Amino acid sequence: MTTRALLAAISGCPRRNIINSSTFSPSLHFQRQESRIIARSFSSDTNSSLPDISRLAETARISLTPAEIEECEPKIRQVIDWFGQLQQVDVNSVEPAIRAEMEGGSLREDAPQTFENRDNIRASIPSFDETYLKVPKVLNKE
Amino acid sequence: MPSTAASRILEHYRPPFDATAVKKIKEMGGIVVGKTNMDEFGMGSTTEASAFQVTANPWDLTRVPGGSSGGSAAAVAARQCMVSLGSDTGGSVRQPASFCGVVGLKPTYGRVSRFGLMAYASSLDVIGCFGSTVADAGMLLHAVSGYDRFDSTSSKQDVPEFDTQFLSMDSFESKPLKGVRVGLIRETLEEGVDSGVRSATQEAASHLEALGCVVTEVSLPSFSLGLPAYYVIASSESSSNLSRYDGVRYGNQVMADELNKLYECSRGQGFGGEVKMRILMGTYALSAGYYDAYYKRAQQVRTLIRKDFKAALDHNDILISPAAPSAAYKIGEKKDDPLAMYAGDIMTVNVNLAGLPAIVLPCGLVEGGPSGLPVGLQMIGAAFDEEKLLKVGHIFEQTLKGSGFVPPTLPNVA
Repeated sequence: MTTRALLAAISGCPRRNIINSSTFSPSLHFQRQESRIIARSFSSDTNSSLPDISRLAETARISLTPAEIEECEPKIRQVIDWFGQLQQVDVNSVEPAIRAEMEGGSLREDAPQTFENRDNIRASIPSFDETYLKVPKVLNKE
Repeated sequence: MPSTAASRILEHYRPPFDATAVKKIKEMGGIVVGKTNMDEFGMGSTTEASAFQVTANPWDLTRVPGGSSGGSAAAVAARQCMVSLGSDTGGSVRQPASFCGVVGLKPTYGRVSRFGLMAYASSLDVIGCFGSTVADAGMLLHAVSGYDRFDSTSSKQDVPEFDTQFLSMDSFESKPLKGVRVGLIRETLEEGVDSGVRSATQEAASHLEALGCVVTEVSLPSFSLGLPAYYVIASSESSSNLSRYDGVRYGNQVMADELNKLYECSRGQGFGGEVKMRILMGTYALSAGYYDAYYKRAQQVRTLIRKDFKAALDHNDILISPAAPSAAYKIGEKKDDPLAMYAGDIMTVNVNLAGLPAIVLPCGLVEGGPSGLPVGLQMIGAAFDEEKLLKVGHIFEQTLKGSGFVPPTLPNVA
């Protein structure tokens, strides 16, 4: 009931355009950046040979059925094409940020400690043969 | 307790240790009621990408709760628990909070240890808190914050007493937020944002003014670049982080006669469609010849975004914007259109790129569903300034007319 009242109150309010609002002054604060954001075109004019999905899947060690490849190929191409707009940004002399500015990574002493719940770790291993994790043989390609 | 990241590849996995955040909660006597649904490995904005089930929004069961931490938001909205944890890499706590009418709190990167958080994008991931009030979310944040030697990105900054500053309304002065400078981000009210969301946000701005704030418009020129930069960085880092799911040491294994085939089949069958897509996109963006054009460039754009935020926060105490361009949409509506779904993250991703804290709290309703659909206001603060966000959020919430945001699916819950 109170939610209905809230809804009625909101829908009853006049739509206010942010520029015309009389209750707060839209003074603009922004810094002129060195970079200029040029026209937002989506196509990248770099060496864009369209991604070879099968090869990517092989690199990522993921098997895809032909149906899956057919389904995801257009979507992946569409997204990568969309990524292309970053090419238009002037990033001359801009440092890449690995992460948000934080204090330097703090490392702890490199001293091994035995984990107290080893049995639980062993229980999770799909193919275990006392002290060994079992995997099939590795075949050399080509 | 089973921990699957909503993925078949971890279907029966039971971790041998608790995440630091969970350990802290247990040490303080918190009761872990259970685990919630999410988009697989955090990749999604609707919880539809879970390998196990779709979660419904308690405000309208035909609509999505948001994502990726949609289950945690819905559980609090439906009062199945008091508070919940989620993870926020590009808005995955804040957007579902908006869709479900609850409070979602994203701390500063480094405030909460990521030890035990299954990594999606290591430079962006944080653990966030849901509650039905700002005070509850703040108390949970206090419980899980703090330096942890097991997370090298964990901050040594002091953790203020977030949980003791929630004064009751009777003690508010007439203008309890007098002098607080609020910057409304101009780019978040442009085309593409639902008119109902725009109205609700402008009314929230007026409410803040009535409380004494000085609200002005700010511009973040690099704003629109955040979305592609985010998706390049997130998919690149995830392609690396998810390489550990190989079926050898844990998780579902698909046996094969050759090792590469074991990897390929375990992963091919264990991962869902969205996860596979993002891994492939990330693999592409990091591959030889493309690294500079995509990943490095996105990192440079990240620097520009950080600078814009810093400039705006030098002149403002907090920045505000909608949490999402719309209220919750129908289940299935955006499932087949990745760019349409990604577009919904526009309000939230820049905050992750800059590593800043932000809170989302319900500020109004728009039409839709049996009783309207909630809309959340996002407040963004300077690094490690969660205290200010909680103070402003609490006062805003307590003075907002109406007795709270309770979904119609619940019987009389005050």
